[in-house]
Amino acid sequence: MLEVLLLLFGEAVMVFGALGILRFPDVYTRLHAASKCDTGGAMSIILSLILMMDAPALVRAKFLVLAFLIAMINPMVSHAIARGAYRYGVKPEVVVDMYAWDNP
Amino acid sequence: MSRVPFYLKERLESLREKVLHEEFEASKLPSWERVVLTWAVLMAFWIVISASLEMRDLALGAAVTLMIAAFMRDLLTEDIRRSGHILEKLLYFAFIYLPQYLVIMAFRLLESNLKVAKNVIFMDINPGIVKIKTDLHSDTGVTILANSITLTPGTLTLDVSKKLGETYLYVHWIDLETLNREKAGEKIKGDIEEWLKKVFW
Repeated sequence: MLEVLLLLFGEAVMVFGALGILRFPDVYTRLHAASKCDTGGAMSIILSLILMMDAPALVRAKFLVLAFLIAMINPMVSHAIARGAYRYGVKPEVVVDMYAWDNP
Repeated sequence: MSRVPFYLKERLESLREKVLHEEFEASKLPSWERVVLTWAVLMAFWIVISASLEMRDLALGAAVTLMIAAFMRDLLTEDIRRSGHILEKLLYFAFIYLPQYLVIMAFRLLESNLKVAKNVIFMDINPGIVKIKTDLHSDTGVTILANSITLTPGTLTLDVSKKLGETYLYVHWIDLETLNREKAGEKIKGDIEEWLKKVFW
């Protein structure tokens, strides 16, 4: 029961992440949707796969390594994309921009 | 700090960097503890990846990971604070600090997913880029703090800058509430920084 709930939650979160990428106005707000929803959705799908699978515990622990790698790499890549976009010259649609004050 | 003349400012900066460096060297672990910590982490990874508990595989893994840990002892454990006995430290980390961090981050990730769903439906966004200050100085600590800030609801780390021995983070905030640096720092960092200050330098 729990694994089906986790699977449904993960897929709903992934759908909302895709909608966010389509609906948000600029690069930085789209990265919000991409990084958070992909991490949460993929991790909950992996947890449901761990609960569903019938295999020895050490084999199922390999999925935990996968979840750890996703949780480490996904925010790092979104950070790199945001910084690269700013350095390239994509202007953010923001109220206040303290990064432009310090790096004129 | 802003009224100091230019030549004095450079001198002061170098002096402060020197003091920081000496503090950092004094708070390092001794080298055999670094080897043992790296060995424990690599051995756990080997057991999970190879997925067998036979004597032959365990002996091979222990030999190879000990050799790697002797060479790469600074890679993982360079920034860990010095306190207590090594066994005590391993047990504390495995049974208290790590589960605490995992529980905090799991609930924050859940909350941030729900918040992004809410933002997508109602489009009530008010973005801004703010600058906050942290008390962490080591590379590993700042990296983990920036990753945790990216996964907490409504924030995304843009850049890190170190000036005069103080570390600043630029954060893209999707729903701007305050411009005050201390209040924004409290709201964004929460209790993750308190947790990180116990382990890292």
